[in-house]
Amino acid sequence: MALLRLRAALRGPGGLRGPGVPWSVLRSYSSASTKEKANRNSTCERTELLEVLKARAKQLQSSDAPEVTVNKVELAPLGNDKHQNPLQKAMASGPTQEQPVPRAGWCPDRPHSWVEMLHKETCIQQLKLERKLSMAASQLDLGSQAKAEAKPKAKIKAKAEAKAKAKTEAKAKAKAEAKPKAKAEAKPKAKATAKAKAEAKATAKAKAEAKAEAQIKAKGKPKAKPMKSLKTSKVPKVKAATAWSQSSTSPHSLYSHSKPRVVAVKEGVKLERPRRALKDKDSSQHKETIQSTLECFLFLQQPEQAERILMLCHRSPVKQKLLDVSAYNIVMRCWARKGCLQHIDQLFSVLESVGLRPSLDSYAAALQCMGRNQSSPEAIWRYLEQLKSDGFHVDELFQKCLFEEDEKEKILRAIRTVLPDYQLPPPPKPQTCKSALLQDFYSKEKVVSYPKLDFSVEELQERFQQQLEMELNNTITIESVEAAKPPTPQAVKARELLGTLRSQWHDAVLQALQKSKHSMVKARALSKYNMLYPYLCLLPDEEYVGIMLQVLNTLSPQGESLAVLARELSNKVYSRYVTHRKLRSHQLEKLQGVYEDYIHLLAKDSQPDQYLPREYWEKLVAEAGLGSSLTLKDCSWPYAVLMRLGMHMLELLVKAVTVPRNLLNPRLESKSIPVLYHIYSYQNMWQVGLIKPHPIFSQIVTDAAETTLTFHSSAMPMLCPPVPWTSPHFGAFVVNDTKLMRFVDGDVQHQLLLEQCPPVNLHPVLDALTQLGNCAWKINQPVLDIIISIFNDKGNEQLDIPPPLSEAPKPPTAPGHSSTWSKSLKRELLLCKKKAAEMHSLRMDALYKLSIANYVRDKVFWFPHNMDFRGRTYPCPPYFNHLGNDVTRAILLFAEGRPLGPRGLDWLKIHLINLTGLKKKNALQERLEYANEIMEEILDSADHPITGRKWWMNTDEPWQALACCMEIAKASRSPDPAAYISHFPVHQDGSCNGLQHYAALGRDLIGALSVNLMPCSVPQDVYSAVAQQVEEFRKKDAERGVKIAQVLQGFISRKVVKQTVMTVVYGVTRYGGRLQIEKRLKEIDDFPEEYLWEASHYLVRQVFNSIKEMFSATRDIQHWLTESAKLISQSGRTVEWVTPLGLPIVQPYYRFKSTVLNCGMQNLSVRTPSSSQKPDTVKQKNAFPPNFIHSLDSTHMMLTALHCFRQGLTFVSVHDCYWTHALTVDIMNQICRQQFVALHSEKILQDLSEFMLEKYCSPNTETIAAWQKKLMEQLSNVPRTGEFNLKQVMDSTYFFS
Amino acid sequence: MLAGQAPPGAAGCGRLLAAALRPLLCGLSPCWVAGRQCRGLRVAEAATEEAQVVQREHRGGVPVRRYIACPRLARTVQQCLQRGAGPQPLLLEFAPGPGILTQTLLNAGIRVVALESNLAYLPNLQSLENSLDGQLKVIYGDFCRLDPLVSGTLKPPAVCSEKLFETMGVAAVPWKADVPLRIFGIMPHTLERNRLWRLLFGLYECNSIYRYGRVELNLFISEKEYMVLRAKPGEVWAYQALSVLAQIGCEIELLHKEPWSSFATDLKNGSLAIPKSKWLPNDHLCLVRLTPQQNLFTGGLKPTNATTFIFMVKQCLAKPTSRLSARLNSWSLDNGGKLLKALEIPENAVMRDLYPEDYRRLFEALQNSSMFTETWFYDEVLETVRTINL
Repeated sequence: MALLRLRAALRGPGGLRGPGVPWSVLRSYSSASTKEKANRNSTCERTELLEVLKARAKQLQSSDAPEVTVNKVELAPLGNDKHQNPLQKAMASGPTQEQPVPRAGWCPDRPHSWVEMLHKETCIQQLKLERKLSMAASQLDLGSQAKAEAKPKAKIKAKAEAKAKAKTEAKAKAKAEAKPKAKAEAKPKAKATAKAKAEAKATAKAKAEAKAEAQIKAKGKPKAKPMKSLKTSKVPKVKAATAWSQSSTSPHSLYSHSKPRVVAVKEGVKLERPRRALKDKDSSQHKETIQSTLECFLFLQQPEQAERILMLCHRSPVKQKLLDVSAYNIVMRCWARKGCLQHIDQLFSVLESVGLRPSLDSYAAALQCMGRNQSSPEAIWRYLEQLKSDGFHVDELFQKCLFEEDEKEKILRAIRTVLPDYQLPPPPKPQTCKSALLQDFYSKEKVVSYPKLDFSVEELQERFQQQLEMELNNTITIESVEAAKPPTPQAVKARELLGTLRSQWHDAVLQALQKSKHSMVKARALSKYNMLYPYLCLLPDEEYVGIMLQVLNTLSPQGESLAVLARELSNKVYSRYVTHRKLRSHQLEKLQGVYEDYIHLLAKDSQPDQYLPREYWEKLVAEAGLGSSLTLKDCSWPYAVLMRLGMHMLELLVKAVTVPRNLLNPRLESKSIPVLYHIYSYQNMWQVGLIKPHPIFSQIVTDAAETTLTFHSSAMPMLCPPVPWTSPHFGAFVVNDTKLMRFVDGDVQHQLLLEQCPPVNLHPVLDALTQLGNCAWKINQPVLDIIISIFNDKGNEQLDIPPPLSEAPKPPTAPGHSSTWSKSLKRELLLCKKKAAEMHSLRMDALYKLSIANYVRDKVFWFPHNMDFRGRTYPCPPYFNHLGNDVTRAILLFAEGRPLGPRGLDWLKIHLINLTGLKKKNALQERLEYANEIMEEILDSADHPITGRKWWMNTDEPWQALACCMEIAKASRSPDPAAYISHFPVHQDGSCNGLQHYAALGRDLIGALSVNLMPCSVPQDVYSAVAQQVEEFRKKDAERGVKIAQVLQGFISRKVVKQTVMTVVYGVTRYGGRLQIEKRLKEIDDFPEEYLWEASHYLVRQVFNSIKEMFSATRDIQHWLTESAKLISQSGRTVEWVTPLGLPIVQPYYRFKSTVLNCGMQNLSVRTPSSSQKPDTVKQKNAFPPNFIHSLDSTHMMLTALHCFRQGLTFVSVHDCYWTHALTVDIMNQICRQQFVALHSEKILQDLSEFMLEKYCSPNTETIAAWQKKLMEQLSNVPRTGEFNLKQVMDSTYFFS
Repeated sequence: MLAGQAPPGAAGCGRLLAAALRPLLCGLSPCWVAGRQCRGLRVAEAATEEAQVVQREHRGGVPVRRYIACPRLARTVQQCLQRGAGPQPLLLEFAPGPGILTQTLLNAGIRVVALESNLAYLPNLQSLENSLDGQLKVIYGDFCRLDPLVSGTLKPPAVCSEKLFETMGVAAVPWKADVPLRIFGIMPHTLERNRLWRLLFGLYECNSIYRYGRVELNLFISEKEYMVLRAKPGEVWAYQALSVLAQIGCEIELLHKEPWSSFATDLKNGSLAIPKSKWLPNDHLCLVRLTPQQNLFTGGLKPTNATTFIFMVKQCLAKPTSRLSARLNSWSLDNGGKLLKALEIPENAVMRDLYPEDYRRLFEALQNSSMFTETWFYDEVLETVRTINL
């Protein structure tokens, strides 16, 4: 009864601390309990539990004195503070626990730590039991339950106390009992009681029982899960709190970082599900974390540490499930390096004890160890025997394992101790791709030798050394193009200041880092072990400091999101770690050797070889007997680790870097203030943490106007031909890790798919990428100089040269204090700021591009390529590449020069007219004639670009047009234009390439005509054609008296429909299409506004109808693809397919869950993908048609690239825009058409249908479910095609033009 | 009369109404016609038109609107509104729709201004206006688009408060004076939170409707938002920046709770359109009275620096579990310790345990220490506050 009174007091309105109550009252209370405080041991949870119960008892006793009770209860809302002692915590949260479960109070306190766990467990147990009970006695209704709950509370308390006071007995039990056991115990008891007793009573008893159990469990938990409580300890806490919120009516929190999952109160079943989900997610994450941590220790050569972690996990029943053989293998390798066979023996027996089978890598480790310490033949025999009895073969060791350092030699030595004649297995025979599309390409009969570069072997080797050096340094610092201007005295002063500050910061950050590492080492209590520690030891401290300080150099005054910065930091650490690893494992030396031989294939002064670059590389590797030792074991870090590491470093940085406040204003008193501050900004209702530099710092940086830029070496173009792609993770840069397929964080599916794919299937894709990367580039220096001069002057927005910040609109100067400003003034200020921020980012982007271009202005360079998940190719260096805007494209030239030949000059002229955007509807001949007509303008532009008549400035792509003008001028003035050596790339664009593929897939006659698949005297314009069709529909409707059709008279134009038609291919919906059209209609001044909605709605329908009419099969195909994807996704799988070139593709769209990472400074909500995730049906479905079409256009591009290569052409692409020399445009055009025909002559849709039928509907069970039947029907029902004769593409001039 | 016979507290008629209201909006409601013949009929007619209009407009993405269509509920609301002592100033009812509550209010002798944004309802309201002798004034406008922040000419139904108050004939009074105007309405649940924020900004800056004095709001808001508004420290999930600002800014009084089902919506299928809520039963709308505090601007807080206060509270409660002292330090305040001592706030106090009053005292102390003007803080206020105040 006392308890009830207590509760009533708590819930009463006076129970909460009123606003007037000062803090001092609270503190005086907490000091009153010093005795208990002295007794308590804060780290020991067991003691805490006892204390709670003691406190509870005390509370019960003292409740006779009302004042005391009230006094205590007043504390309740604050009881969960971290700054109060656990006793109070317990007291405060104790009573709240007893609140009747269904929404009583407004919002209960949040109990802490294990008390929380306890409560969570209780809730779960309760619900479980309730479910059991309702099964046993089905009429159990909620009302009586609720009633029953209130009464037996006192009983529960008594029981719980009794149990806890059974002292050591209970404790021992808790330790010994594994979790499942405890559960198992609880269940049968509950059942028994349920059957035996009346409903209400049963609930009470079972609950009491459950509570006691839960307490024991809660006690046991922190011990059982040392790993989890490392840094993730907050995650379960959040969960626990959620569980708590289920039993109360607490409203939902809108903190972005603490979104709890929620479950209905009444459904016990639901309650369990999120818990399990959490476990799954955690487990996959933890598994990766454990592995990557062990890898770190392997790198650090600390087997003791590795084993400690492993054993920690091994001993915990929960964690043990997370360990698989590879985790043990890492530790074995660790010991093997040290030659400690004893430990390996132990690990083998441990493996056996948990029922895991040793893998090849385990044996490799054992043999390596024995080779190292020269063990007795008997021991070696023993392992070899076991290896054989496990079904492996000795040869497999050398075929399947990846080796570092001297591991391979040691293993061989061990084997040869017992088998002196053992020979390494021969390298696998090179296979050739059998794709029908590439038969010619791979057949050895009509081999055309690889086009040579204009370099000798020696020159290339020198370049390789430069590249290697750059990559080993990881970063490169270059002069920016702004360096041309002499620094002002103010700048000189600011630079000096910055210099001294930097050295101070360096010391401060170094100190902070060392201190934090030190404190991590000290926290040796296993439960508090900091998982980040090994990650902070991988590099020398100086390197961490360098990486951290780099942030300061690049941070924009507007600040940057915390998560972005954290990722940047940890990625830098990671890439540095990989470099170190490659150095340590001697992988680099081996690669260097192979590369030096490899360049013989490319150099002009060596024998021509009949190999493709990849083939040649593979041959060299096989000859050198390097096999698999060139590739490193995959050692990527899980996302959570990356974020934590980044956040930790960021926190150090924010705390350590300070600046005197009076730096710029000496009148202020001196004190140091942080340079970086952490602040939240709000985007919609999301809360985003930002790191911003202090205005003082920004001011100094602006004043200093430093002219050096530091880039990661992978941001620079390569100085030597890229390493050919030979596998999904080997190729491109020399040291930097590059993946064949780009992926978004944590999407591992592609990587897995590529690894499972037989290597020979990837050959075409690898070869195409190698080929694209092997194109050598150089800088168009005259154009670059003009651009830089404008850039360093005042920029020019019209010409896409972003002006400097000094040109930004000046904010209006306002009188008085900012708080008195008017609304409009504030708005204006804000707009100015926004504009300045935009200008800053544009300016920086241009600065990066131009500075890199300027840095390589005298060099020949290469862009290594990789691709996205659909096979679309991209150059790896992010800032400066040929995919960039008009400005960047204009400064790029092929390094290789070719004579113009008879038609080259004409092609240059046509290319120029194409770049201007004029004469789009005219035939090529007319464009050429037009070019000849305006030759004077062209020459004037070339000769006096800035001072002349500036014809080039008023074109669509002014800078490329200017470059082209200059080339034409030079060529036409040369004595023999046909012999003029041109480096200029000429482009050929596909016209609405997506629709071209659709039209070809569906063999649509009208469609094919309108997208230029059919020969025609003038280029067809699909947008005009659609507009015409829409107009026809409109006329008919208008005649029939449809109001809106009449209103629209005279408003339908190409422009109105263009965007929608263009995006139809990419799956635009009616909704999106309507918005696009509405926007266009709004731009028409005299269109009546009141009809906007209706008109756009009508028009989008008509556009879709027109496309349906013209591309009848296209819509069918789109529909078929969409429907198929929908059914596949609904069956719980992701949509996968294989391109005609054999590239496997999977759509990476999953329903993601966000987990909260507690990272000290701020909690981060991160997406955590795992393989068990469900596909996002909407995305899978909507994205399939466009992705499929993209996979086709990329296939077409790759086919063209490969065949161009066989013809000795220089070829690069920007998706559907193909580049080559003017001399070879005709050949490229022919190949492009041939390959298009060849590609679409394949039964693409049939093949897709068959592939999917096999993948998704293979009858693995006898019974076929309804959904499977439906899916089968859908997949086998391939849309029919039209009458178009594909061969006609061959003669179509404007197909690509 | 039917409405008169109903038991007090309209909650009882909720379920009944769910069924009864659908015909009301699509055609004639027998109960209503019987109860209040001539005017009732007119209302019902308007509703028919409305149903069609709604159908068209709904494709355009207009938020769902709720109406009081049950006479009993109307009566309850009227009684709630009349509760409380003191003079009864003019009442502005926004989005009255079919005007059932308006009628009830008028019958009770209250002077009403109806602000309606839907043209379809206007004729009906206007004829009601004409039949009375100045007791009702009907204005075309949308309360949710009051004083839009976008610059440019105002297109109705967007309204500007200046004009609105002029039309109503309500003059500005000093802050300390009595309530010059009462407003009643049902908050649309889309962007409900944003709308509350906007009102709070207006209140603190004495902008918009609050330029005319302490305008009293009587709003039907969702239970979830109500819980946030009145949350106390320690209520982990509910206690947020909005709670602090609302509690400092106004007196919050819960007048009535009503199930969702008592309200009619303008959806053609007649569904109740209850927003999903995983966090609480969420089966009610709460009629909440928000009366601006008379002493809001007596201390260091002024309309001119109020945005800084809002900004400070938002930043503080962005991470409710962090320590106040840590936050102060990150704001370049290294004498934060002294400040806290003076305020009698423990060094290790956590954000979520500070009472709204504590935040106010903290702000006033900081204001005196001139920390805001010296650091970057002010720039941030300008930037961040403006972007959320949209």
